[in-house]
Amino acid sequence: MAPRESSQDPVGTPDPVEKGFATLATLRIGVKAFVDKDGEKRKAEILSIQQRKGQPYYYVHYEEFNKRLDEWIQAERIDLSKEVEWPAPEKPEKKKTGTTQSKNSKADSKVPKGQKRPRPGTSSEASATPEATSANIPGKAPRPSKAGGKENSESIAVVQTEVLDGSTRLDDEEIDLEDVQDAAAAAKAAAPETFSREEEIEKLRTSGSMTQNQTEISRVRNLTRIQMGAHEIEPWYFSPYPIEYTEEDMMYICEFCLSYFGELRQFERHRAKCTLLHPPGNEIYRDDYISFFEIDGRRQRTYCRNLCLISKLFLDHKTLYYDVDPFLFYCMCTRDEYGCHLVGYFSKEKDSAEGYNLACILTLPQHQRKGFGRLLMAFSYELSKREGKLGSPEKPLSDLGLLGYRAYWQETVIDILMEGRSEVTVEELSALSAMTTNDVLHTLQNLNMLRYTKGQHVIVLTDAVVAAKEKQKEKEKLKKRHNIDPERLQWKPPVFTAASRTWNW
Amino acid sequence: MTRAGVAGARFRQRKLSTKQTLQVLREDQVEKIDDDPQRHVPKVETGVEKTEETEHHLQAAISASQAAAVGGKVAQIYIPTPDTVVSSLQYERLYSLRFSQPATYIRFSSTVEDCNGHAYCMTAEDDAFLSSVNEKKSASALCNEDRFEEVMTFFEQTAQSKQPFAMVDNAPVLTYDEMESFFDETISESARSFAKDIYPHWKSQRLRRGNKTLMPSLKFETGAETDDSDPYVCFRRREVRQVRKTRGRDAQSSEKLKRLRKELEDARQLVAMVKQREIMRRDILAVDRQLFEQRAKVKDAKRSLGIKGDDEDLVNQKPQKKKTSEATPMQRPASTQLRLSARPDGRSSELDLVLLSDVLTEKENEIQKEIDTKIIQHQRWNEGYIDLTRRPLTPPPEPNVDSGFRTAITEFLPTPPSSVSSEVMDLDGDDGIHDSGREGLVTFRYASPSLDGYCQSRPSFRRRVGRGGRLMIDRRGMRLQSTEAIDERIVDKFKYDHDDEDEEPTYAVDPYDTLNMRYRASIIGNSREQAAHQAAQIQAVRRAQEEKTVASSPAPAS
Repeated sequence: MAPRESSQDPVGTPDPVEKGFATLATLRIGVKAFVDKDGEKRKAEILSIQQRKGQPYYYVHYEEFNKRLDEWIQAERIDLSKEVEWPAPEKPEKKKTGTTQSKNSKADSKVPKGQKRPRPGTSSEASATPEATSANIPGKAPRPSKAGGKENSESIAVVQTEVLDGSTRLDDEEIDLEDVQDAAAAAKAAAPETFSREEEIEKLRTSGSMTQNQTEISRVRNLTRIQMGAHEIEPWYFSPYPIEYTEEDMMYICEFCLSYFGELRQFERHRAKCTLLHPPGNEIYRDDYISFFEIDGRRQRTYCRNLCLISKLFLDHKTLYYDVDPFLFYCMCTRDEYGCHLVGYFSKEKDSAEGYNLACILTLPQHQRKGFGRLLMAFSYELSKREGKLGSPEKPLSDLGLLGYRAYWQETVIDILMEGRSEVTVEELSALSAMTTNDVLHTLQNLNMLRYTKGQHVIVLTDAVVAAKEKQKEKEKLKKRHNIDPERLQWKPPVFTAASRTWNW
Repeated sequence: MTRAGVAGARFRQRKLSTKQTLQVLREDQVEKIDDDPQRHVPKVETGVEKTEETEHHLQAAISASQAAAVGGKVAQIYIPTPDTVVSSLQYERLYSLRFSQPATYIRFSSTVEDCNGHAYCMTAEDDAFLSSVNEKKSASALCNEDRFEEVMTFFEQTAQSKQPFAMVDNAPVLTYDEMESFFDETISESARSFAKDIYPHWKSQRLRRGNKTLMPSLKFETGAETDDSDPYVCFRRREVRQVRKTRGRDAQSSEKLKRLRKELEDARQLVAMVKQREIMRRDILAVDRQLFEQRAKVKDAKRSLGIKGDDEDLVNQKPQKKKTSEATPMQRPASTQLRLSARPDGRSSELDLVLLSDVLTEKENEIQKEIDTKIIQHQRWNEGYIDLTRRPLTPPPEPNVDSGFRTAITEFLPTPPSSVSSEVMDLDGDDGIHDSGREGLVTFRYASPSLDGYCQSRPSFRRRVGRGGRLMIDRRGMRLQSTEAIDERIVDKFKYDHDDEDEEPTYAVDPYDTLNMRYRASIIGNSREQAAHQAAQIQAVRRAQEEKTVASSPAPAS
């Protein structure tokens, strides 16, 4: 059950760390020091050091904070009165060993290691529930039984893929809830390091848009600020815009064609010429509030590349390693006399082997926290309904993605349950919502609604849930809540010839 | 946590099937069997990558929502994100009010490149250069920004297409002469005149950037080893999957290509010919027009000269016309088969059409003729022979099948038809009037003749011998007696007296019975007259019988 071995985190290591006091001169990349963050001392790792006008600047990543909060700081914010942690001398080697060990310990030993920090969500259930549970999950069977060294890492990679298979297969068979958690946790735990780069690149060639590769995602943010539409935005993550723009203080992005410019004059010239007023595709949905445009990555390569570059600024795990051809992009816009302003989008594989109905999803930061994410998700499920399929978003989710999805799932499931049926199967819930049964189950569990009483499972509409629903209804009376109206969707699932669906050019 | 684990083990839950029906209950309907709140802490996989799952803000948000799920009062927790601020740029200056929403959903397929005009966008430096160039020019020949960008775009694109690997192999910047030689339709005449002025600027810019494109471009794969580790290389192409090559596939493809090529060629031919035709038509029109004009001139001339009469040359000559009209039908069939051809003699083409009924009758006649010849042939074979076997195979009907009938001058009670056989007797015989020489002929038939169509004619009868030597009397032309002649009571009396129509009465006859044998012998032995005589006798007998009863079917007389 995936004890959160901190050894797997790039931050924090269980191995005895070298500690000591440092001076500005001895600070180097990899050092972890306490840094003043919003009036609070936080441990942070130095990822990069730059000299600007003779002053050293440090790019730091705060432990237990998302990377989007990484920042350049000046020396005075680093607290040198406290001991710093020195990076391990042969880090990659050490790390690998540590990882393997921890994994093996998870796999075979029932005793959690002492130095592990207890965390919410971790429990020793896996150890408490013996083979009987794991026999259900195919992926669990071939777990390496001996704590080996590095030589075991390969077999772990195998385990990983099988666990993934197992968890996708769970949809249609009997599910032991705890096993699901087990398997998922195992999959998750195994994920980060066991994917070799080669494997991942090969996988990405044929499906998916998300990377779990550490080198891929742990990059220093490269752009300073961007200007788009009526907003100035601070990028969150690295994005492979042409390297020239990293030197600019501001990068200008055209709101309609998403082209990027380093110089204001160029941007103004571009604006004088650009005639695009909406995403260059077919409008497939329109209501009073928003429009959706469907764009084929193969046909609108420039636009979709531009879109991906922007979204990479805000999605850590998105990969731009391969081209945009096998994806469709659904762009959500608000309209006014200026045109259709891009608010958010999601991409979707033309043919997802894993049954994902969504690859990447992004509400542009300037439009976040206004309920647009929910509309995007609702729309993606509306498309799945039209296709007659169940869908789930591609993993890994980001933190914001997870919260957004949980909120959407909860609302959807509760809405269905509140319609007043006296009994229901998980499959029915799934069919009504186009959510996978796994997602339904997880939502129910998450809300503490799935209970076991008198020898059988029941769904409990808890008081908290009912109360929250009532409150929401009250709120809706005051302020109109926007929803997707299926009637307004003019869309047939696009059919692609084998040639255009394959991953070639 | 350990407690939860223990509890989990103790209250081991049964497996939950997604197909299992679950009751939906309210909280007060459920007993609180498990008061351990820890047991309800969801242990769901989040889908967030493990290393990020522990992040402080996410955990705070998750535990807040969990607390809310169990009914706690928690303020909504947001994950902090870097700020976005309203831009200092004036939006209205950059974007204009141009959008009017169409009533229907937008359909759009132009690409970004289609909508952006010239790809190159001027920098402030270009501005300075441009104004310096314009200073030297007269007011009428100033280079505006669009022209400048057009030229720059042309230079950039030409350099890109001629030296696609300039970045890699340090190729020298293209010279102006080279550029000039590449002028094509992508650069307008008005822009070309500025090319020479702009070229030095472009070259210096280009040199400064190491002969790279002036507008920064994305880094695509170059095939170098460093590509894979370079984070700026993006949007790689996915390698083409190898298609297995076999000879069969090759042949197939080449066949396909050939066919495609041929079809395209055909289409092209067609279009070319249409074009030719239209050109000819145009020529004809031109000639006609010329002719008309010439004639008008002639007319004027004639008028002015006072020449009267002889207007023959002002109209197309009749015979000429005829010739053309005659010529057309000859050509027609070759040219257009789709059109109904008008006949040269002007007769409606409909008259030419063959009626279906005609064809059918003709066919029928032919069949009948065939049958007749067969019958004659058969007769010829059988000439002088009589089938005397005890149970002869059904012989072919003899000619004049109905000739065995003789007219009866009697009126009979109505008889319903015994059975309507599909063999239709020769109908054209004027029954009753038969070749006298054949009148007595014994005819063999294998089925009762149809009585259709004889009801109105004179009644007649005949005798025939069936299989097993049954002797039968056939009648036809039995007319209904006048209704008033029928005594209703009598009719009523016999209403249910007759046999079922389908049932042919069977008589048990022992063929080896002496009496029967003798009888048969007597039949065979007798001459025609005897047979005729016998028939007359039987007829008499029958008549006597019929007068009393309503016979349902031809009764065997033996």
